[in-house]
Amino acid sequence: MAIVKMKKVSMIALQSEKNIIIKNLQKFGNLQVVNLEDQIAEQGFLELQPDNDNESVARLEAKLSQVKFSLDFLSKFNKEKKPMFAPKVQINEAQSKEYLEKEERLGNVYETCRGIDGRFTELKSVETKLHNTIAQLIPWMPLAVNLDEIGNTQNTSTVIGSISTKYLDEFSAAIKDENLEAYFEKVSEEKEYTYLMVVYHHVCEERILQLLKQSGWTKVSFNEFSGTAEENVNKLKAELESIETKRAELTKQAEGMVSEISFLEILYDLYTIEKDKSSVVKDLVKTDKTFMLYGWIPEKHIDALTKLMEGITDKYTLNFDDPGEEDEIPVLLDNPAVVQPLEMITEQYSLPNPRSLDPNLVMTPFFVVFFGMMITDAAYGIIMAIATAIFLKKFKPAGGMKKMMGLMFLGGISAFIWGGVFGGWFGDLIRVRPWWFNPLEEPLKMLIFCLVLGIIQLYTGFILQAYKSIKAGNVMDAVYDQVLWLMLLTGLIFMALPPLAIVGKYMAIVGAAGTVLFSARSEKNIVKRLMSGVLSLYNVTGFLGDVLSYSRLFALGLATGVIAQVFNAMGVMMGGSLIGKVFMVVFLVIGHTFNLALAVLGAYVHSSRLQYVEFFGKFFEGEGKPFEPLRIRTKYIQSENN
Amino acid sequence: MNFVELIGNSGLFLAFLGSAIAVGLAGCGSAVGVGIVGQAASGVVTEDPSKFGRTLLLQALPGTQGIYGLLIGFLIWSKIGVFGGLLPVTTEQGFMLLLAGIPIGLVGLISGIYQGKAAAAGCGIIAKRPEELAKGMVYAAMVETYAVLALLASFLMLNGIVL
Repeated sequence: MAIVKMKKVSMIALQSEKNIIIKNLQKFGNLQVVNLEDQIAEQGFLELQPDNDNESVARLEAKLSQVKFSLDFLSKFNKEKKPMFAPKVQINEAQSKEYLEKEERLGNVYETCRGIDGRFTELKSVETKLHNTIAQLIPWMPLAVNLDEIGNTQNTSTVIGSISTKYLDEFSAAIKDENLEAYFEKVSEEKEYTYLMVVYHHVCEERILQLLKQSGWTKVSFNEFSGTAEENVNKLKAELESIETKRAELTKQAEGMVSEISFLEILYDLYTIEKDKSSVVKDLVKTDKTFMLYGWIPEKHIDALTKLMEGITDKYTLNFDDPGEEDEIPVLLDNPAVVQPLEMITEQYSLPNPRSLDPNLVMTPFFVVFFGMMITDAAYGIIMAIATAIFLKKFKPAGGMKKMMGLMFLGGISAFIWGGVFGGWFGDLIRVRPWWFNPLEEPLKMLIFCLVLGIIQLYTGFILQAYKSIKAGNVMDAVYDQVLWLMLLTGLIFMALPPLAIVGKYMAIVGAAGTVLFSARSEKNIVKRLMSGVLSLYNVTGFLGDVLSYSRLFALGLATGVIAQVFNAMGVMMGGSLIGKVFMVVFLVIGHTFNLALAVLGAYVHSSRLQYVEFFGKFFEGEGKPFEPLRIRTKYIQSENN
Repeated sequence: MNFVELIGNSGLFLAFLGSAIAVGLAGCGSAVGVGIVGQAASGVVTEDPSKFGRTLLLQALPGTQGIYGLLIGFLIWSKIGVFGGLLPVTTEQGFMLLLAGIPIGLVGLISGIYQGKAAAAGCGIIAKRPEELAKGMVYAAMVETYAVLALLASFLMLNGIVL
């Protein structure tokens, strides 16, 4: 369907023109280069050797990592917030050459950034050390003794340290009871430790040390300090402050370099472009004078490529081939603008198999309808559609964001329509007669409507599988597997509708009989074949389960509506006085915003699930590999082609 | 309305019990589920704070059960007229209202917890392969199916009760 047709391309040209050719191919942006090394190895041509340009790839990667480091570092100091979707800087070829020659400037910026970063780390470690020392000294602040004077005299020793607070009484009693020639002073006390200075005569040293040990003694020594603990703490605190000043200076220095950010951003993109060109070389093979390139190109770009090559040189060969049986064809999707947002949903599941079909076009109406039904509020729908339209118009996002917003826009319109159909405008805040019926009053009708939608999508799935079989030339497979099956299901459904019951009965019988006979037709043994045929009838329950799964359309739409009603009811309760009315408005705005967010999340997740599990299960083949052409990838700049 | 009257009117009492089961149990399920995802998500965000938004999406998923419960509770209350003039409810009707509250209460409790566990595992996907977030969300949404079905069951039962 909408899977772009690919051709294999092989090109041989001169080594001397390799760089210019690659450069132009990158600008061209529609050719995916495939690595040839393995194929060459199999063939065993001695003249053909794998090419590479590892040296310049390594050099550019080193430069890139410098740019990245500096960018990350400086952006921490950038106070100016960039607008979310700022326009990209335009850079032409001459400018980009100029920028690429400014290696010295990059080197300077990088070295400075590294220098500043290194000093920040240094300061940090000094700071931690200071904090630790201060924490050690603080318990000793009441001690009015110079720390370096604590030590021994001829007959006495002085020690400082901590013991467990719970042993303090015991320790002091022991000194008193045993009449030891010792004195201790309690310096300070914490919950668990008591800090002591102990002075004792050498006569009782052994006993004192024993007693201390029993009390959980931890000796400290501050020999490296002069002056009292308090003096030292004050000194260290002053040092901490000076670190703060140094840090402020460094920050200022870094902030002074913030202006380099835009330079770095440009370099980042330019180096990325250069690196992409260099790394593509390793996919080529070469002889002395020529090189060979092999790859994939969308069929519609073939002429453009030929023209491009003609513009560069006349010494080349260019061949286009159809993909062979075993080739892994890359997948590129091409859908109308309305369908494009849905590609996101499929891609998140898996890209379609290149030999299968692209489900997006068929999936779009289902997804959008389901998305809207799970919200079922016209006012929410209008808000979503307008908000996303403004966003798309103003910021012109690209890639995934564009698809996401497109999806929300379509979903918003759908929610508006279904909200109108079932009469939901901010729940029941604005009372508008539903265009069709109110599901709260006729829930069964609503439920049946949802299940019918489900049956339609499931049938579509079966038909797509049949289409695939027919396209592959297996018409009878389509008849045996899908037509008979659909007859059985349709017959069963008709049997529930009185006027069609008779027709339905015969359809069901024919369908069932056919399924029993043919569903296991690859089985040789007739008994086994009929047995598994009968067993396959059991899949009817699976179909029933699939259909019932669509009841979530009703349940989620119901949830959005009733929760909105809950908020409305609570809001109205507040709206007595004037102040109450103000509160009511604030409350309603917050409440409905919350409900809208929740409804969108639920609708997104559950619509996706219906596609993935119920719909894709019937026909979809995934595991396609994306088409990744050599192209100009930029994040910050727009490269002008001239 | 005082307590004596409430006991005296056992129909109303049962109806309130039904709504309490719906709101209470389903709310518990969501609370546990959201909590579980929150713990896993915090781990992911410590490594990479920029993933906050994506983990928040996963955390919101098990939150719906509590809302479904509140929804059924609210419908029961509006049916018996809590918001303006209580209606007379017979014991039989009360029992029916009670039963209508049970599916979403019970399934909400269990599915909320297990959806939380599935979503918490999805946080691992965000940590290692953030581009595959959608798959993690679908795994969690598979669990929610049963809460949705229970919500529908509760709603249809409730809708069939005539006061």
